[in-house]
Amino acid sequence: MRFVGFLLRRVVGIAAVMIGVSVITFAISHVVPADPAVAALGDHATDAQIAAFRAEYRLDRPLPEQYATYVVGLLHGDLGRSIRTRRSVADDLADSFPATLELSLAALAISLLIGIPAGIWSAIYRGRLPDVIVRVAALAGGSLPVFWLGLIVIGLFYYQLGWFPGGGRLDTFVSPPPTRTGLYVVDSVLALDVDALRSSLIHLVLPSLTLGYFSTAVVARMTRSSMLEVLGQDYMRTARAKGLAERLIVVRHGLRNALIPTVTVIGLTFGSLLSGAVLTETIFSWPGLGRYATASAISLDFPAVLGVTLLAAIVYPVANLAVDIAYYWLDPRIQRG
Amino acid sequence: MFRHLCYTSIVFAVVLLVAAACGPAANPSASPGASASASPSASAGTAATTLVIDQDVSDLISLDPAVVYEFSGVLLAHNVYDTLVRFEGTDLSTIKPGLAQSWDTKDAGTTWDMTFKLKTGQKFASGNAVTADDVVYSFQRAIKLNKSPAFLFTDIAQLKAESIKATDASTVVISLPKTASPAAFLTILTFTLGGVVDSKEVKTKETGGDSGSAYLLDHSSGSGPYVVDHWTKNAEVLLKTNPNYAGTKPALSGILVKHVPESTNQQFALEKGDADVARNLTPQQITALQGKAGVSTTTAASLLLVYVGMNALKPPLNNVNVREALRTAVDYDGIIKDLLKGNGKKIQGIVPQGLAGANESAPFQANVAQAQALMKAANVDKATLDFLVPTGTAPGGAAWSDIAVKLQSDWAKIGVTVNIKQQPTADLLTTYRAQQGQLVLINWGPDYPDPDANVGPFTDYKAKSIAYRNGWDDASIAQKGRDAALITDPTARAAAYKVITDYVLHNGPYVVLYQPTELFGLRSNVKGFNWSSIGWVDFASVTK
Repeated sequence: MRFVGFLLRRVVGIAAVMIGVSVITFAISHVVPADPAVAALGDHATDAQIAAFRAEYRLDRPLPEQYATYVVGLLHGDLGRSIRTRRSVADDLADSFPATLELSLAALAISLLIGIPAGIWSAIYRGRLPDVIVRVAALAGGSLPVFWLGLIVIGLFYYQLGWFPGGGRLDTFVSPPPTRTGLYVVDSVLALDVDALRSSLIHLVLPSLTLGYFSTAVVARMTRSSMLEVLGQDYMRTARAKGLAERLIVVRHGLRNALIPTVTVIGLTFGSLLSGAVLTETIFSWPGLGRYATASAISLDFPAVLGVTLLAAIVYPVANLAVDIAYYWLDPRIQRG
Repeated sequence: MFRHLCYTSIVFAVVLLVAAACGPAANPSASPGASASASPSASAGTAATTLVIDQDVSDLISLDPAVVYEFSGVLLAHNVYDTLVRFEGTDLSTIKPGLAQSWDTKDAGTTWDMTFKLKTGQKFASGNAVTADDVVYSFQRAIKLNKSPAFLFTDIAQLKAESIKATDASTVVISLPKTASPAAFLTILTFTLGGVVDSKEVKTKETGGDSGSAYLLDHSSGSGPYVVDHWTKNAEVLLKTNPNYAGTKPALSGILVKHVPESTNQQFALEKGDADVARNLTPQQITALQGKAGVSTTTAASLLLVYVGMNALKPPLNNVNVREALRTAVDYDGIIKDLLKGNGKKIQGIVPQGLAGANESAPFQANVAQAQALMKAANVDKATLDFLVPTGTAPGGAAWSDIAVKLQSDWAKIGVTVNIKQQPTADLLTTYRAQQGQLVLINWGPDYPDPDANVGPFTDYKAKSIAYRNGWDDASIAQKGRDAALITDPTARAAAYKVITDYVLHNGPYVVLYQPTELFGLRSNVKGFNWSSIGWVDFASVTK
């Protein structure tokens, strides 16, 4: 019951965040000095064409009226029409978001599967060679810009060695699996399409490693430092005194306690994965939300920018909610309130 | 759990490596249709007969001939929809038959009556015959939809829907008012806006009075050499050959345009053989590709002009001598040689090379002494001006900001200080359109391959285009421009444009810097890739 109340509070919070985000984004996007109609129609458009375009997109209406129209549409599930692509923003998002989600989840998986074991390893071997290796790799991960790293990775693994493809989600002559989730890996498994599965997995490798390197480094460093703190606690000494196996001590007594700060960091880095996806998607020709957002922002496509912002505004709190639920499971003290 | 995590990591890594080892990394030449037997792409044939073009197609919003006005859309729609008349290859001076075998312009008193006789045996991809009714439907549809390119019909040609008539199944008569130029209209008809759609098929696809525009957004209904197989948004467009095409069957069965925004990726893919054409390479990349095995580079003319607009409403730019001084002081050769690495031509008139009426006269080149004398004649010692400059890369491959800095240093030599203000193009245009710029660096390309498409905007203040933006209201030259558009004799017309362009060269508010060159990276086996400066290539004549 207490958990249900906790969930309800969070959902109400998310709704409040959404309203705030929509008002702020709407206001900011409409105070920029350039005219989106000029951006869309370009240098050659006549004044009459620009006026017609402004009327079509209701850009000639007062701001509060534009906002009210937008919100009414939103409540009916209508995110408006993109000025750049001239399509429904909801359709555009449905096309591009799964690609970003797939990439971000792959990057998150990499950061958990590599970052947590590396952090533990580093803590256990504190001051020795494994620790030095992990710390140097983590330092590099925290300081290399994604854009540069992406180009280096493509240059080495695609251009020089030819081990992996240089961009896109599938090989040139492989067709996407029938859309169920939009995640090619999942859809190709559901469709039992081996070619598409192989192709989508291989195409995920370089972009997800590039995108996930930073968060892997953060997770490894956080796991290391919290493990070090936990390893020195009294209950660890007690566990050892009880004669438990070292592996059991590290995992059951150490890791579970050490994971709480790590989980917080994971929630935060998921947000950074989405923003990092903007650059990664450009470098790897990945047809996702980041590239859509960049192209929309450049062409002053306010409905699209608003749509992306609202989607991000949902993803962030949902990631944080997942973190909170993980706390609940990890730390009984939180459950007791 | 620790061990479990380690195992999982190892398994994950192994899966990825196995996936990598399962097949070659996206090498179409090594992985032809075999792996794609169940895919729609496979029907386009193998890599050997599909041309793969890596290009930034973020501008693509539609494939409908009545809507497309963006570079990527025009390139694709041109290969899908036939037009009544056409330019062939790179020649923009001779209009050739398209769907029409002949045409004729008659002076009918208050109008020009243009009669087009259609060829027989032309078919749409659906198998339907191409008739005069299809032409009427297509042109009226473009006017009704009134999208970006529609002004070419409604404003430039002053065409009304009711003036387009089919007098029999193979004859179309179009009446233009006497104030419109029949010569310019013919060139407009070569553009994608003049693409003829299959009216029988499109009418069955109409929903809610949209004239089938929702369908034609990403499907095709034309009679050109190719049809649209699919457009995966943000990823790729595949064209396949039209089985009912009446002309010579194209050598390539498929054209795959992949959205690859980064030029580095385009270069890598080209070198690896994963792309046949790289569309957006920089001059430095083109230089780097030269001499490498398996690749070649090519250039093509474009019709763009990169110029500085000088607002004649803002002192001291209202003084013709100051404007002439600014033109005289610029080191044009330095810009073309050092910044563009030779990827531009020294053109100083307002009509680019390649169009009738182009004026090759280029009298200006960094003559500081003469420029100083002109400043003295204008009684201006020093001037400080704002200089609006777009962000990003200028046509020809140099950064806009580099060109601006070069101009800044040239003009400093004659006492003119400019403050460079870089803005995204949309912001810059908003200021420029409102006559609020002082000096503005920008480019212009004609809407249709006719000198009137440049002379009108650059001279006619009332057209509210470039002359208006620069506050240059010279009624006499504007009238000469309007008169020249209506001259039907080509020699007399060229002579009229010579007079106009010579006048604008020394009196207008423009510093025309250069005409950029287009750059392409190609695989060595790609032949017949003849890029037309209007912005397309006939894929039907490309082989590999």
